[in-house]
Amino acid sequence: MSDAARANALTTSYEVSALRMEIDKFIVPAVTLVIGLLLCFFMLFPLSSILQLSFFKDGQFGLANFTLANFQKYFTTSYTLNALWHSLYVSFATTIIVTIIIFFFAYAMTRTTIRGKPFFRNVIMMPLVAPSIVQALALIYLFGRNGLITAHLLQTGWNIYGATGIIVSEVLYCLPHAFVILYTTLSAVDIRLDEAAESLGASPFKVFTRITIPSAKYGIFSAAALTFNLTITDFGNPVVIGADYNVLATEIYSQVTNLYRFDLGATISIILLVPSLMAFMLNYYISRKTFAMISGAAQPVIPPSRPLKKIGYSLYCGLIAFCIILIFATVIIGSFVKIWPYDWSLTFGHYRFPSIGGYAAIWTSVWVSLIVGICGAFITLVAGYVMETRKPFFKQGLYLLAVMPAAIPGLVMGLGYILAFNKPYYIFYGTPWIIVINIVICNFTLGILSSISNLRNIDPSIEEASISLGGDTLRTFFKIIFPLSRVAFFQNFVYFFMRSMTTISAVVFLVSATVHLAAIEIIMLDNDGWTASANAMCTCIIVIVLFMLGILQVVAKKTGRGAEGSMAEV
Amino acid sequence: METTSKRLVLENVSKHFGSLVAVKDAHLVVEPGEFVCFLGPSGCGKTTLLRIITGFEQATSGSIIYDGRIINDVIPQKRQFGIVFQSYALFPNMTVSQNIAFGLKMRKMPPKLIEERVSAMLQLVGLTEWATHYPSQLSGGQQQRVALGRAIAIEPKVLLLDEPLSALDAKIRLRLRTVIKKLQEELGITMIYVTHDQEEALALADRVVIMRDGEFRQIGTPWEIYKEPKSSFIAEFVGTSNFMTGTRQNGKVKFGQLALTVSNMEAVPSEKVHLAIRPEKIEWVDVTIPAADCVPSNIVEVTAEVINFLGAVVRITFILEGEEMIVDLPEKEFERTSIQRRETMRLYFPPDAFHVYGEMFRKLI
Repeated sequence: MSDAARANALTTSYEVSALRMEIDKFIVPAVTLVIGLLLCFFMLFPLSSILQLSFFKDGQFGLANFTLANFQKYFTTSYTLNALWHSLYVSFATTIIVTIIIFFFAYAMTRTTIRGKPFFRNVIMMPLVAPSIVQALALIYLFGRNGLITAHLLQTGWNIYGATGIIVSEVLYCLPHAFVILYTTLSAVDIRLDEAAESLGASPFKVFTRITIPSAKYGIFSAAALTFNLTITDFGNPVVIGADYNVLATEIYSQVTNLYRFDLGATISIILLVPSLMAFMLNYYISRKTFAMISGAAQPVIPPSRPLKKIGYSLYCGLIAFCIILIFATVIIGSFVKIWPYDWSLTFGHYRFPSIGGYAAIWTSVWVSLIVGICGAFITLVAGYVMETRKPFFKQGLYLLAVMPAAIPGLVMGLGYILAFNKPYYIFYGTPWIIVINIVICNFTLGILSSISNLRNIDPSIEEASISLGGDTLRTFFKIIFPLSRVAFFQNFVYFFMRSMTTISAVVFLVSATVHLAAIEIIMLDNDGWTASANAMCTCIIVIVLFMLGILQVVAKKTGRGAEGSMAEV
Repeated sequence: METTSKRLVLENVSKHFGSLVAVKDAHLVVEPGEFVCFLGPSGCGKTTLLRIITGFEQATSGSIIYDGRIINDVIPQKRQFGIVFQSYALFPNMTVSQNIAFGLKMRKMPPKLIEERVSAMLQLVGLTEWATHYPSQLSGGQQQRVALGRAIAIEPKVLLLDEPLSALDAKIRLRLRTVIKKLQEELGITMIYVTHDQEEALALADRVVIMRDGEFRQIGTPWEIYKEPKSSFIAEFVGTSNFMTGTRQNGKVKFGQLALTVSNMEAVPSEKVHLAIRPEKIEWVDVTIPAADCVPSNIVEVTAEVINFLGAVVRITFILEGEEMIVDLPEKEFERTSIQRRETMRLYFPPDAFHVYGEMFRKLI
């Protein structure tokens, strides 16, 4: 008997379970429905609560109650109206500065042969590991009323509070976000275009203005739109360094927290939502074009830059890196010295936190972030799988729901949560769970986009192979897709963890007398005059996030795939 | 023993993607144990048709019938059709054994039996010593063997192979081709094999289905297709052919200065006549010895432009009436002729070697 015949003699009739296949038919629609409902309930519902409170008298829905009184009040009060002009001014200024700075920085990273590129790339990403308050804290230590540089080295009375402070801190905060976009764009544009132009006799200046900039224009617009959106929605930096210079974000907070005017807070939220939504849609529209331009062509070797160009760009990048390092160094050193800038003796005193939260807040932040990381990474992977691979009936609608959170400022979402869920029957309200839900929803977009791009790297035949062998949805996902997405899952986990540790605006309305979070504690400490302790809290967050990133590197290396993409995904 | 009812029947299957017609009225009966190849250029709809059979695509109209039952609505999991993909599609997170066992586990086969079946499969595809390796540690040829073993393990009613050898190098492709043919013959599995490689199709299939623009253009044994290509497209696509376009004149075909005698010219009524002739059908004629039973008008004198040694045959390119053509001479005969480049030679086009067509397939190159 031949081998083949013997193999066939094993014949026994085992078939796939009919019941399991019947159940399987409902899995994808069920998962789609659950995710859709989650997004509706935890995103659209809070948003609608804000709309309701701002457009209807006493927040009572009904045709007769429709009113624009809140908006009228807003636009006729010069103090609140100023917040809008302030926000626009600060955001436009930041956008222009960041776009210019980061374009040349990304250019240096992709088109020149300067040394130390990995160092520069890591430094430019540093602001991501800290709450968007670290810049303001450091600037105050350096340029504030008692600043090391202003008051002591230069002995001037000038200080950085107000618009200048907000712009400088926002610039430093937005750099990594804009960098990721422009770096990707410039890496993708074929450098040989430049060479071809040069070989045809174009001057370097002409090549730059006629070839380099136009080829990266979508990336430039996209980076600008993102920067605008980040700046106008940021809360941490302006609340610390803005002083009397109110912006929309700080105005929402003070209306709600200090004046208990929820209706006006909701109204300003709507006003904030308009420009940020426009910037988001612009970005969304542009980034689709950017991706269409990116080719899979291999990157040719960059020709050696001229010495002068090399020195110039090295100095330029060095200066930017120095500024970012200075920010972090100031905060970290500031947390260890007795009295900045008078008494430089070292102390751990500031780490004995004087507030109620203290270390409990850090632990809450850590475990909340761990849960956010696991839930966020898992839900976005499942949602990405269902949408990308299984193409459910409601795919387009679900996709729209999934990208919406990125358009909604965290502060607005937070306010919406109070308005929507502050009812006794929502038992999760006032517990850390509402914070977990809020952070997962707020960061849903990036999570799902990176899940989808990872799933696109898996050969679709693998999925089909599983199905043809009798694999149902659940077992295909857990036995094949999930193991293959391990690294991407962990990257997403770290992303959610990092966002959860550092976010301020999303959760500032959701902390309570019993639930404290480390990032919010920074504001509280600073507000109460414990600036050094605020720095110490900041340092703790940075250390924890860096620790998690370190683990990611180890895991990624162990799994045999480069961790290159880990930061770029963020 | 297989019964004839275990046929796979495609009944007027069509598939539209919007306004694009990917498959048009496909009609085919695949007998149990038969090896059928879908052969056609890329974009001809052969892969779409295969995906309709597997259940990954739904036919717009028509029925897929297996064992007398319409299976259009049966989900792929329940069809129990094995699939072998061009990209192997092995599960990278599982060892060779685990890959092969996957389909059996999905069927809740007892572990003991799975173990036996897996080791039988490993033996079948000759990978016993690689059982605990991961796909990334295997060569492309070995990976495709695993994929074969994995698909056969579930005792597929039909095994569908989607260009399984395209990703492999030429040598391994030949070896694996033999493996597939042997498996098919020994196990008697019904196989449908999609390829754009005519050589592969002719070597493997019991029957070849030529597809173009979503339609079946010719169905037949490799022999029939090669001998009697139904259209100039098939004459060009399967094997190689020389083409000439002439006009009918006094029962002959006028091609430039030549008046060729062509058998069965009546098959095409049109004034314009397209002729195809295989390079190996053209005969070399010794200048010194007058040809005995030749039709003299079909002897031409040409110059050898390029001579390529292809091993067993020698391919000579020449220009006839402005058309570039080739003739294949067996290596032995070539030695006798001792033709050199730029030398003249006499060639004979046997009247019955021509295929006559009313239409001309537009050559792209």
